[in-house]
Amino acid sequence: MASDSPPANTNDGPSSPGENASSPIGNTYSSPSSLRSRRRARSSTPSQFATPPPPSRLGVPSSTPPTSRPSAARSNRPATPSHTDEPPPSSDDGGEDGADDATPTFVWGTNISVQDVKSAIEMFVKHFREAKESSDDLFREGKYMASIRKVIEIEGEWIDVDAYDVFDYDPDLYNKMVRYPLEVLAIFDIVLMDIVSSIDRLFEKHVQVRIFNLRSSTSMRNLNPSDIEKMISLKGMIIRSSSIIPEIREAVFRCLVCGYFSDPIIVDRGKISEPPTCLKQECLAKNSMTLVHNRCRFADKQIVRLQETPDEIPEGGTPHTVSLLLHDKLVDNGKPGDRIEVTGIYRAMTVRVGPAHRTVKSTYIDCLHIKKASKTRMAAEDPMDVDNSLRRVDEDVELDEEKLKKFEELSKQPDIYEKLARSLAPNIWELDDVKKGLLCQLFGGNALNLASGANFRGDINILLVGDPGTSKSQLLQYIHKLSPRGIYTSGRGSSAVGLTAYVAKDPETGETVLESGALVLSDRGICCIDEFDKMSDSARSMLHEVMEQQTVSIAKAGIIASLNARTSVLACANPSGSRYNPRLSVIENIHLPPTLLSRFDLIYLILDKPDEQTDRRLAKHIVALHFENAESAQEEALDITTLTSYVSYARKNIHPKLSDEAAEELTRGYVELRKAGKFAGSSKKVITATPRQIESLIRLSEALARMRFSEWVEKHDVEEAFRLLRVAMQQSATDHATGTIDMDLINTGVSASERMRRDILASSIRDITLEKMQIGGSAMRLSELLEELKKHGGNINTEIHLHDVRKAVGTLASEGFLVTEGDRIKRI
Amino acid sequence: MGGPAYDCLTNPLGAVRFSFGNALSSGYDPASSHGKDWGVVDLFRHYFSDESAISQVPILDSSSIKWVQPNTLVRFRGMIQDMLGNEFYAGAYKDGSTWRTNKYSDVSQFPDGPSSETQVWERRLLYCVPVPGRNQWTECSSIELKNRFLDLTGQNREKRARVDEEMTDSMDSNTLEAGLNGSPFKKMKAGEGTSSASESQVPRTDNAPQSSALPPATSTDSLPCLVKIYDSPESDLKLNDVVEFLGVLTFDPNTMMDMDSPGDNTDDFSEAESVQRPSGKVPRLHCLIHRKLETQHFLHGSSLSTELKSPQMFKEIRESLMKHLTGLLGNDHIAAELLLLHLLSKVHGRVDNVAVGKLSLNLTHLNKESMSIFGTQLRDALKSLLPFTQSIPLTIEYLNTASLGPKKDYGTNRLVPGVLQIADGTHLILDETELQPGTLNSVGVENANLLKNLLECQKVEYDFQYYKMEMATDAQMLIFSEGKSNIMPADMVLPFQPSQVNPLQVIAPETAQAWRCYLATCKSLSHSIGQELQQVLENDLVAARQTDRSLGSQDLSRLLTMARMMSVSYGETTLSLEHWQMVLELERLRKERLK
Repeated sequence: MASDSPPANTNDGPSSPGENASSPIGNTYSSPSSLRSRRRARSSTPSQFATPPPPSRLGVPSSTPPTSRPSAARSNRPATPSHTDEPPPSSDDGGEDGADDATPTFVWGTNISVQDVKSAIEMFVKHFREAKESSDDLFREGKYMASIRKVIEIEGEWIDVDAYDVFDYDPDLYNKMVRYPLEVLAIFDIVLMDIVSSIDRLFEKHVQVRIFNLRSSTSMRNLNPSDIEKMISLKGMIIRSSSIIPEIREAVFRCLVCGYFSDPIIVDRGKISEPPTCLKQECLAKNSMTLVHNRCRFADKQIVRLQETPDEIPEGGTPHTVSLLLHDKLVDNGKPGDRIEVTGIYRAMTVRVGPAHRTVKSTYIDCLHIKKASKTRMAAEDPMDVDNSLRRVDEDVELDEEKLKKFEELSKQPDIYEKLARSLAPNIWELDDVKKGLLCQLFGGNALNLASGANFRGDINILLVGDPGTSKSQLLQYIHKLSPRGIYTSGRGSSAVGLTAYVAKDPETGETVLESGALVLSDRGICCIDEFDKMSDSARSMLHEVMEQQTVSIAKAGIIASLNARTSVLACANPSGSRYNPRLSVIENIHLPPTLLSRFDLIYLILDKPDEQTDRRLAKHIVALHFENAESAQEEALDITTLTSYVSYARKNIHPKLSDEAAEELTRGYVELRKAGKFAGSSKKVITATPRQIESLIRLSEALARMRFSEWVEKHDVEEAFRLLRVAMQQSATDHATGTIDMDLINTGVSASERMRRDILASSIRDITLEKMQIGGSAMRLSELLEELKKHGGNINTEIHLHDVRKAVGTLASEGFLVTEGDRIKRI
Repeated sequence: MGGPAYDCLTNPLGAVRFSFGNALSSGYDPASSHGKDWGVVDLFRHYFSDESAISQVPILDSSSIKWVQPNTLVRFRGMIQDMLGNEFYAGAYKDGSTWRTNKYSDVSQFPDGPSSETQVWERRLLYCVPVPGRNQWTECSSIELKNRFLDLTGQNREKRARVDEEMTDSMDSNTLEAGLNGSPFKKMKAGEGTSSASESQVPRTDNAPQSSALPPATSTDSLPCLVKIYDSPESDLKLNDVVEFLGVLTFDPNTMMDMDSPGDNTDDFSEAESVQRPSGKVPRLHCLIHRKLETQHFLHGSSLSTELKSPQMFKEIRESLMKHLTGLLGNDHIAAELLLLHLLSKVHGRVDNVAVGKLSLNLTHLNKESMSIFGTQLRDALKSLLPFTQSIPLTIEYLNTASLGPKKDYGTNRLVPGVLQIADGTHLILDETELQPGTLNSVGVENANLLKNLLECQKVEYDFQYYKMEMATDAQMLIFSEGKSNIMPADMVLPFQPSQVNPLQVIAPETAQAWRCYLATCKSLSHSIGQELQQVLENDLVAARQTDRSLGSQDLSRLLTMARMMSVSYGETTLSLEHWQMVLELERLRKERLK
């Protein structure tokens, strides 16, 4: 069938398509029962209607004025069933009869029989059961019979029909519905009315069918003339909606002379035929009829403009838009900014302007159903948000089979882990291990909620510490772009309440309201905090709760609340002395409280070490960037959109568990890690791993399994997790004096050997003072003390600085051994 | 319709219809074709296969619009400013038993009865404007063409006089609007103006005195055009492309009147109509063929481009241009060298956020006084050398009020242009010397961010209200400032040290033409590097980094860009050691000055 010849009609041949569209349905609703009886009578002699009407009668669908669209007309509903049995208004009568006479039983231009479609729909409505239902109760009512009953009970006006159900039950019916929606939906409505009145004869409202969830959804860009008059479904964002327009449906006239009220006159194709004379036989006054507004029937109408979602816009293009026409209950279903999925009929009409006949058509979508979509870019798992009634309408519908297959293939590749790491911020050079850590953060571990109420977070927190100019911020920005729901803040400009939540008084109502801060807003996402070290202490202390308990608690102004903040924190900080001083510990380098530091699973030091090998690779990379084709200079990597959807798919669908083997490896490794602290004769003073680390390890290995789409955490995942942790720890938790890993550095900020050294220093000072000074005697300068200490040598093998001495003196003073007076000490 | 069927120039629609007839007889079926081309494109492509044939077609601009006749062939050179989506139209219909077509026209030639069978086809709508910042020399004079055309239409002259007048008036109302458009401060207002129908409802005579008061200079680059594209893949034409469209002009002021008359149904879909609305005031072009424009196309003495073949030629022109630039810059040789490299830069690759090939220049140690001497001279010189230039004064007031980024106005469903919606290759001068201490409001901060983002990533964020979209933009940016500009961190920073002020030189048009040609040719040269030199480069870069740890990847990248430009400026397509060493030397001199 030609793209645009009007798909014809169930029951009226001799009218223009404009009428085609409106009248059958209009008739249907004005008098469903009478039409039904006519139909039944007709069915005995179908052959007489089988010939299509002459083609010349079927012109362009263009002449359809907007007001006579079927769904518009559909909202005409009879006042009462009894009312429909009355003869229709005379003005409408003639045309209707004429139309009926020539009605074919076949949809014109096809061999679709009206009766067949009708019975197919009846079968579908009455007998469709969801697959899972059939097992537990074969004799239960069908899904849609149940929903019809429900609609009758709540006096609803429509029934949502999942197009997937139609397809499952009768693919042929589905195809007909999509190709000839005007006709099939009209029949559908008739069937529904039949069923409704068979259940409850007194049910007054008119029940319509609303189809949603078509099998294929088109993109706005691909709409073309062949889609006209077809049922389509597309996604987009509302950018503008008009005010609600009341549209007249039935008009009532009153004679100014005698006061006679006419019967309601149905609006036909946007026109009301005003009776030229009074219809009362006794009066018959000419031009006396006037419209009685408050007895007319109006329906709501709204025009909404829908725009493509940003991800559908090709490079170098601007977004396309399309108009939507909403009726009745659909009105105000979305507001500007909402992302929706629309099911409707694509229609075109001629722009009628001026004497010169214009050839341009304007197009719009006559909406049947609107579904709001979530706004997140990468699907964030949130069981609370999933609407159970729309089971198949989840985000993963977006992932069509083809894409899924591609992902499966990707995940099977042996080097997928390396490949993903390469694809992460490919323009940032080196830092492979950091990237791998960040990748783990993106994929995340499994959150665990035990029945006992204990929660284990699945989110991985990472801190990057490094010299300026080592592209930390760039990494942060990149992760922020990728992450499902991320907030990017800078520590310098963030306050405690800005990060967590604050209570505010509504200026108008005086009510206290909670306003979410960055961390709450990035629930299920990643909160990137730049310049972490520049953050005020009070703001930082708020993070303690967030990073371990994953909640934000507020107790203020009558509001006691605990908000979810299941967010991963990615922070980066500069060393306090602007450059990292390798002679000092991490804690000393970044002035962060150890309590907070220990909550980071991985702490990376990004140091700019002069390394010729790195420099050479950088040089090679840049040369390649400039002189070969820049795009090909990039190593084979996934593009950002693939990466995003890969990550989101994995986060949503893969929930790996620890295999026995992996668990064993985990225990073994952990024990080994703890043992590592024992050697060097330090007699258990060094702690290399804490229970926090084992949790981190589990999270990391789960994330690694996720990357492979594996439901089981394997041994090598655990090994890699250990490696990552070791790499991160080696950089941050190495005790520079001994070269061993010391978790105490992170946990307390002081390494075991440092503590030992301090003890020794303190005791030597004690010795010296005992030797040289009398109680209450003359004071001694600290510098003198230092000289003495150096002279003394003895058991202090490292160089002593004045500040070390000062610290040791402080310890002694707190013991009450001596007092300090500025730069001098006195023995007591 | 009269006229020979194959006079593509004066009766293109006749040719279209003739070929449609031919296609029908050879089995073309409009009912199943979806409006696919039936040979018209080939016909016109063949007819305009060489430059001389194309030059016969008048260029549509605000001066030629006064005499060009509707339904004839014209050319329009402009930038795609907005894409208005697809339009469905009744492409073919049956007149009795024969098919007729409406392709390439707005109205059907034959009144179609209600019984006719119609095929709906689609076409794309592009809203094009003259390229922002286009310089005088790029304009073609169509004087001779005009005379020829007037002779041709001489017999109709009397009749046309009235129509002409009407057109002029409506054009002027157009320029009034576009005049506002030119000033960034009024941008928003102008955006509203285009949408409002009120203007057209004002009686025409009222407009006349106003328009006559307008200086003619402002009306030169103001004519927008609504181009309707047929049979062209979507990826072919992108936003901000500079394109020459060749097609059928339709400009019918009568339609405009009709458009605005309130129809009973049109109210409902007023948004859909807004797409149509500007076409009443804006000429419409039904595009037959189009091509992307390079700078070379703007050079009229096309013979010159062929001359630039030998390296000797390049060297000579380079020398004379260098001399000119050095003179302009008060004998500061290093500045002139860097400026030349800067002028040759263009983005030739993008990897994530890194735009490879950009080379922005920041000349420091300039103050208000020296700006008035060197700045203006330089600005004028660049205007005569480059096709598109713009200068942006970085003052608090400007930043706080200007709308630099384009913004989508959903009221009119149009993209309101911003100053930074520019064609690729546009040269921007940012003058920071006038910046005074003050407070930036939110608009100012946003504008500053836009500029910085453009400088660093060569991308401009377009504001679509509910989300932002980044558009890759290729702009050469030259910054004048007193100290090193921190708002605009350029790739190359050079303290400007003029030794004397040279009097303004008069440049012969031929020389200017040669320079333009040189710049355009050099810019378009491809470039590569030999294997051995690659090794040398790597070693040098590593050595540089070993000695100076502060060198980041951006600095190394810049050095390579400079090397590329240096090599290209001598007309060579492979990097030589000599040029690389010149760059290193230049860099050393620059570093020395920075100390």
